[in-house]
Amino acid sequence: MGQSTARTEKESSVEELKNRREWWFVAEKTRSKRLDYLRKGVWKKGAIGGNYAPGIKIDLTFPQLFIDKWQEHEGEAIMLQKAHALAHVLDNIPIFITDNSQIMGYIGSAPHNIVWHWQGISMVNEEIYNEEGIIPEPEEESLEILANLNDYWGGRTAVDKLARVLDPEDAVKFMSGAIGWGTPTSAATYSTKDFDYIFKGFEAILAEVEERMEETEEKLQGNPSPEILPLYDKLPRWEAMQIVLEAGIRYAERYARLARTLAEHFESDPERREELLRIAETCERVPAKPPRNLQESLQFDHFVQVLSRYETFEGAWPHRPDYIHGPYYDKDVNQDKRLSKEEALDLVGEHLIRTHEVGIFAPKWAREGLQGITGTWVWTMGGVKPDGSDACNDMTVAYMQAARLVRVSNPTFGFRWHPKVKDEVMRECFECIRHGLGYPSMRNDPVLVANTVHWYGHPVEEARTWVHQACMSPCPTTKYGCQPMRMASATANCAKMIEYALHDGYDPVVNMQMGPKTGDPREFKDFEDLFGAWVKQMEWLRNILVRTVNLGRVKDPEFFGRPFLSAIYERAVETGTDACDPSNGDRGNAWVTGFTWVENADSLAAIKKFVYDEKKYTMDEVLDALNANWVGYEEMRLDFVKNAPKWGNDDDYVDDLMVRCLREVSRHSKENRCPSNNTWPLLPENVSGNIHYANLVGALPNGRRLGDALYDGGISPGPGLDKKGPTAVLKSCGKFDHVTDGRAFLLNQRLSPTQLSGEKGYQLWKAYMKTWADLGLDHVQFNMVDDATLRAAQKDPEKYQEVIVRVAGYSAHFVDISRKTQDNIIQRTVQGLG
Amino acid sequence: MKCSACAFEAPIGKFRYLYNARIDSSITMRQCPQCEQWLAVDELLGEAKDVVNPGEAPWGKSAGIEGLAEDVQV
Amino acid sequence: MATCKDCKGFFAREDDQDRGDCVMRVTDPRQAYYKAVPVEADKDASKCSSFRKR
Ligand code: SF4
Ligand SMILES: [Zn+2]
Repeated sequence: MGQSTARTEKESSVEELKNRREWWFVAEKTRSKRLDYLRKGVWKKGAIGGNYAPGIKIDLTFPQLFIDKWQEHEGEAIMLQKAHALAHVLDNIPIFITDNSQIMGYIGSAPHNIVWHWQGISMVNEEIYNEEGIIPEPEEESLEILANLNDYWGGRTAVDKLARVLDPEDAVKFMSGAIGWGTPTSAATYSTKDFDYIFKGFEAILAEVEERMEETEEKLQGNPSPEILPLYDKLPRWEAMQIVLEAGIRYAERYARLARTLAEHFESDPERREELLRIAETCERVPAKPPRNLQESLQFDHFVQVLSRYETFEGAWPHRPDYIHGPYYDKDVNQDKRLSKEEALDLVGEHLIRTHEVGIFAPKWAREGLQGITGTWVWTMGGVKPDGSDACNDMTVAYMQAARLVRVSNPTFGFRWHPKVKDEVMRECFECIRHGLGYPSMRNDPVLVANTVHWYGHPVEEARTWVHQACMSPCPTTKYGCQPMRMASATANCAKMIEYALHDGYDPVVNMQMGPKTGDPREFKDFEDLFGAWVKQMEWLRNILVRTVNLGRVKDPEFFGRPFLSAIYERAVETGTDACDPSNGDRGNAWVTGFTWVENADSLAAIKKFVYDEKKYTMDEVLDALNANWVGYEEMRLDFVKNAPKWGNDDDYVDDLMVRCLREVSRHSKENRCPSNNTWPLLPENVSGNIHYANLVGALPNGRRLGDALYDGGISPGPGLDKKGPTAVLKSCGKFDHVTDGRAFLLNQRLSPTQLSGEKGYQLWKAYMKTWADLGLDHVQFNMVDDATLRAAQKDPEKYQEVIVRVAGYSAHFVDISRKTQDNIIQRTVQGLG
Repeated sequence: MKCSACAFEAPIGKFRYLYNARIDSSITMRQCPQCEQWLAVDELLGEAKDVVNPGEAPWGKSAGIEGLAEDVQV
Repeated sequence: MATCKDCKGFFAREDDQDRGDCVMRVTDPRQAYYKAVPVEADKDASKCSSFRKR
C-alpha cells in the first residue's frame, strides 16, 4: 500500500518534470540506483571552454611504463618494439573496479586521469608545460618526467618523421594552420573495426597468426628467390601481433583476478559478490574466446576499444553496437530469460558511461575545434543487414532508452533511417531528440549506401554494413572496407577558397602567398573569371591536403606502427602487414572534410548580384570594404547580408551556384586519388571549426568580419539567414544529388520544443522527416532546447550543468562551450513545422 | 566611442572586436580596453549601447518563424 | 625487513606465489573503487605508507 502510493507520487512528479522539460531530473528519477551512481561518478573529461575540469590529471604511469620497454627494444622493427612496450603497460598499469560497475577497462591508471599520447607531434608535446592544473602532484617530479620524455621523443614522433619527407613548401603551408586541420598520422586517428572477425576471439586469431608464421618459415627454408625476400619483414610483424593479443588476454585476466579477490576477501553484500564473480568469469572468457552472452559481448567490445586507445589517440569511435550486441541481447532477454530488461538496460547504460569517461589529452587548438568533448564518438544505430532487410533490434531501442537515462554528451548516435524502420523505433529516436540530447542524427540509409558504392565501388552488401567513420562519413566494416586510419586530416578550411580567389592566392590573415596567383579580381571581366579563380584555388587547396595525407598514410607503418590494430584486422593478419599499409587490400574510403563551406556560395552570389549583374558596387569597393574588415562600411555590409541571396531559402540564384561549386569539386574528387587509387569526395561539415577559424578567415562578401564565427557548417544555412521556413531549407538542400555530388552533407536544424510536445509533435516531426527523405537528403540533426533555457544557462551555468546541445557532428554540454559558440547556436533559426 | 561602463573614450577600433553574434544585425561585441567589460556596440552609429552580461543578447533573436521560441526581443 | 607479502593488501597469484596484486580501496571526490597494482611478494615494504601488517 505504502509502496504503491510512493510510486504514484514518484510518477506524478516525473510527469511534472517532463512537462517542465527538466530532462536531467527526469533521468535522475527514473534510472536505477546503479546507473545513478555510475553516471554521477564520471569525471568530466571534455574540456570546458577549452580548459580541463578541476581534478583532471595527465596519466604519467602510462608513458613511463611504455618507454621503459621501448628503450629496451630499440633497434627492432617499429611494430615489434611497440608491441613489447604496450604489453608491458597492459601488464603493469594500475587497474580498478568502481563500485556497482559491471563493465571493466579504462585507459589510464585512475578514473580522474586522462592519457597523453606523446608519440604524435613534438610541437604538441611542448605545449603540455603550459597546461594549467593537469600536471600531477608533486609537480616538480612530474615536470621532470615530462621533460625527459620530451627530450627523448623530440624528432622521433610520427609527424617529426613525416615532416622530413614532406615537400618543404607544402609543410609550411599545411602547418600554418590556416587551411587544414589535423595531423596526417595514425598517432591521432580512428579506425573501423570488424567485429565479425574480432569476435572469433584472440585465441583464434593467435592460431591464425601461428599458422601464417609456420608457413612462412617453411618458405624461408626453401628455394632462395626474390619472392621470399619480403617475407623476412612479415615475421616480426606477426610476432608483434602475438605479443599484443596475448597481453590483451592477460590484461583481462587481471580484472578477473581482482574481481575474484574482491568477492572472496572484501565484499560482504551477497548480491554484489555474485556480480563480482560474474565479472571474473566474463574477463576470463573474453577477449580470449568468443562471447556467449550480453555481458561478455559488451565486455569484449570495450576491451578492444580500450586496447586500441592504449595504442594511439583514437579520436572517433566508429561502431554499430546495436547490430553487434543485438543477438546476445535477444538470447539473454528474450530466449533464455537470463536477464531482465532492466538488468540489460543497466549494462547498456553502463556501456555508454564507460565510453563517456574515456579521456585523452588534446592540444588547445584541437580542444577548440571540439569543444566540450574528447572526440566525435558517433555510434551508428539502425540501418539494414547485408541482405537489405531491417537491422533494427531490441538493442537499438535499449540504447536509445539508456541514452535518455544516462544523458551523456558522448558517445552520440547516428540513426540509419530507411523506409522499413518501424514506427516504435522512430518514436525512440524522436524521444531522444525531444529530450534535448541533440542525437540521434538522422541519416538516409538508401542514399548513403548508394553513395558508398558510387564513390569507392564497395559491393552493395558491404556498403550496407556501414558505420559512421567519424561524425558523418560512412565506412563498411568488412575485411577490405575497414579504414584503419584517419584520412580526414585532409580537412579543408573551405572559406579560404573564396578568400584566396579574391586576393590572388594571398592570405591576408597569415600574411603569406598560399594559393596560386589567379589574378587581381579588379581585372576580372565577368563573374566567370571570378568563378574560374575560385575553381583553381579550390583545386590547389584540396591538392595540398590530399597530397600530404596520402604521404602520411603510406609512411605510417614506417613512422608509427599499429601492432594491436593490425592484430584485429583480418587483412593484416592474413598478409603480415601493418593495418595501415594500403597495399594489403584496403579498397579506399577517403574523403576531404569541408569546414566552412557554405560561405563560398553566399559570397559568390553576393558578388555576382551586386558587382556583375546589378553593378551596384565595383569590385574595388568590395575589396576596400573587405580589407577594412567592413569597418566604416556598415551600411554596405548590411546590404550584402540582407539583400544578397542566401543559401537555404529555396532561391535558385544562390542555390544554383552551390550546385555548381559542388559539381566542380566532385569532378576534382575523382582526379585526386588515394593510395588505393580511389577517390576523395568532399564532405561538408564543421565540428566547432566554425569557431576555431573565426580568427583565421578574413572578411568575406557574405558580410562576415574577421573574428565572427563562420556558419555552423555542412550545408546548414547561415544562422538566422534561413528566413523562408523549414521546407525551403530542405528544398535548397535537395537541389543537388546526395549520392554523386559529395560524400555527405551536414544539416543542423533547430526545432521548437513547445511546438513538438505530445503526440502532435511526433506526427509533425514524422511528416518533416518524410519530406526530408523524399528530397533525398542524407543527414539532418536537431537541437530542441529553447532559447530561454540556453540564455538562462549562460546566466547561471552552475544550475544548467546538464543541458546538452548539438554543436555540429557532435553534442556537448552547453555550459562547456565558449560563449561565442553558445551565441552561434542560439542564433540558429528555430523552425516551426507543419 | 565612450564605454558605457567606465566612460573611457577612444576611437572605436581601440575597443577590441570580439564578434558579431548575428551577421544581419549591426550590433557587435567589443571589449573596453580600460575596464575590460563586454559592450554591445552599434556599428552603424559607432556607439556603445550597453554592457553585456552572461545570458544577454542585445542583438535579439533570429528571424525565422517568430513566436515559437520564447525570447527577449530587442 | 617487511615485504609486500606481510601486508594485508597483498594477494598472491595462484599460478605464482612470488608475485601478486596489491589491492587498495580508494575513495575519490566522485566515486569509490578498488585498485590493483602488480607487485613482487618480496618487494621492500618499509617505504610503503599503505603497508598494513597481516
Ligand atoms: S605496495 Fe604497500 S600496500 Fe601494496 S602490498 Fe606492498 S606493502 Fe602492501
Ligand atoms: Zn570601460
